[in-house]
Amino acid sequence: MQSKPSGGFIDTLEENLIAALLGAMTLLTFANVVARKGFNSNILWGLEATVFLFGWLVLLGASYAVKKGAHLGVDVMINGMSESRRRITGLIAIAVCIAFSFLLLKGSWDYWANFANLPKTEGRWFPLGFEDKFLAKGWYELDDIPHPSILKWMEDVFNEGESYNKMPRMIPYIVLPISSALLLLRFVQAGISVWKGESDRIVASHEVEDEIDEARAQIGD
Amino acid sequence: MSVLFLFLLVIGFLMIGVPIAVSLGMSSILFLLIFSDTSLASIAQTMMQAFVGHFTLLAIPFFILASSFMSTGGVAQRIIRFSIACVGHLRGGLAISGVFACMMFAALSGSSPATVVAIGTIVIAAMRQAGYTKEFAAGVICNAGTLGILIPPSIVMVVYAAAVEVSVGRMFLAGVIPGLLAGLMLMVAIYVMARIKNMPKGEWKGWGEIGASFRDASWGLLLIVIIMVGIYGIPGVTGAFFTPTEAAAVSSVYAFFVACFIYRDMGPLAARDGQERKSILQAPQAIITAWFHEDTRKTLFEAGKLTVTLLFVIANALILKHVLTEEQIPQAVANAMLSAGFGPVMFLVVVNIILLIGGQFMEPSGLLVIVAPLVFPIAIELGIDPIHLGIIMVVNMEIGMITPPVGLNLFVTSGVAGMPMMSVVRAALPFLGVLFIFLIMITYIPAISTFLPNTIMGPELILK
Repeated sequence: MQSKPSGGFIDTLEENLIAALLGAMTLLTFANVVARKGFNSNILWGLEATVFLFGWLVLLGASYAVKKGAHLGVDVMINGMSESRRRITGLIAIAVCIAFSFLLLKGSWDYWANFANLPKTEGRWFPLGFEDKFLAKGWYELDDIPHPSILKWMEDVFNEGESYNKMPRMIPYIVLPISSALLLLRFVQAGISVWKGESDRIVASHEVEDEIDEARAQIGD
Repeated sequence: MSVLFLFLLVIGFLMIGVPIAVSLGMSSILFLLIFSDTSLASIAQTMMQAFVGHFTLLAIPFFILASSFMSTGGVAQRIIRFSIACVGHLRGGLAISGVFACMMFAALSGSSPATVVAIGTIVIAAMRQAGYTKEFAAGVICNAGTLGILIPPSIVMVVYAAAVEVSVGRMFLAGVIPGLLAGLMLMVAIYVMARIKNMPKGEWKGWGEIGASFRDASWGLLLIVIIMVGIYGIPGVTGAFFTPTEAAAVSSVYAFFVACFIYRDMGPLAARDGQERKSILQAPQAIITAWFHEDTRKTLFEAGKLTVTLLFVIANALILKHVLTEEQIPQAVANAMLSAGFGPVMFLVVVNIILLIGGQFMEPSGLLVIVAPLVFPIAIELGIDPIHLGIIMVVNMEIGMITPPVGLNLFVTSGVAGMPMMSVVRAALPFLGVLFIFLIMITYIPAISTFLPNTIMGPELILK
């Protein structure tokens, strides 16, 4: 039950972002229903925008959940261990998480880089420098979302001056490298705090731990 | 056996306290790096594809949001008042009302622990005041709370539908009769126990109270009407209005309006600082400010956080599913089982056992994403209806949640009731028996699940 309290600028920023993304998804889907039923029209890019917001919400939120120790896990075994053993198991678990987010970061970069005219990394599982020659795929576009006019400059930078009809693919997919980098950062931080003995686990056993703490507090009154 | 390696890895990671999502994702990545030539980039793509490619899963955040708006308000309290007015005067009435309230709340929310927290915090305290033992109260709520995933809308059903590509609408309809049946069986069991042990009964407050409390609760209960009518239309009058995902989005906007402007339990019109609830006429600017109010932001954030933790598990489970399908493991398992001469009955027993054990350790939706694709092809081969299989799996999850030693609902109830885990386990045992009988009925009488969807939506086409 180590749900950490929120506070601080970054926390607020992340929380507002989570709230805003979910709110935007809901309103967009709702607006699309209203448009279809009420006005017999359609927000053509609504669905595509919603699914990308959805991906952004979960991927960016995942690193926030690491910071708050909110990811679901099994704590039966570690609860039964002695303190010193729990610390060691905790460190092994964190090492697994760090390795995971590291591999994910490499994969995300490799997937995204070419869409932004950047080189992939060499190597199968460990990055061994950047590739020399690659196919620039900055011209890849999404299906429905129009390219906003404030981002017109991107056409010169990424598309040799040719105009984008739809938003280029690199924009929504940039969340992959960003979120896995954040995930890596948060797991390293969690590892440091276990190393220092400030916490002993990174998982919550179920989704309503906070609510139960509240209920406990009420009974105590 | 490389597959064995994969599963041992998952279990090993889980046991040492690696988050479920990472355990699933990391095992799959290691498996792919060692045994195949898949690149890391394609794994990252699969991760993103979990959201971009599964329109069905999009319903989950919306259902979570609707139920968060509903539970911030006093909807639980209003539902409990209505159910006490209806059945509170029977012997053991308060306990029966608790089950009834759980059933109604389950129709507003898609999660079992959420149902236990919302209804349990109020009903367990009320039952103790009325002279029931704490154990009995906890046992009742612990079991009735599991109905949250069986009575539609249900997050677990959405996950099943997305994992094996059946219609969410069908799954929801299929859950209606089993949900009502399970609730009824629990109520009857309580009534019989109450008769034998001569438990307290409440007083009959008359039809007036039923009417008044129903009017009060109806704004909340209308949510389920919106969802059901929206997805299925009114038979014979009109067709469906929207998809399940859109229904979920509409219901969360509706829940927001009810919580902010009708019940006024949250938002700018709520009672605070000793002031009464304000009417919209006193503060018309609330129409604008409610959207940005601190309470709204907080509810959105809480729902968002829950979405993140659930969907991160599901996204990683989808990577594992990807591995399993690529390695043709479901087919291998199916062939092994079929050549071992398993008939439908034996197969369902095996599914029951796998899920009961797995449900102990894992969050239900994550478990379902992995197990469903494994057993689905076998079920089709054996001629088991996919919808029926889905309901069986959901009921198994329910029982897994209240099976010692580590059922999820046991934890939650022990927290809510403030009693040790072991006494909750003992308290839940008699009703666990009821649910077991229910599971056997569901497993071997397919019509309970398939009757409603086949009648309303026509018989299903099974594509192999």
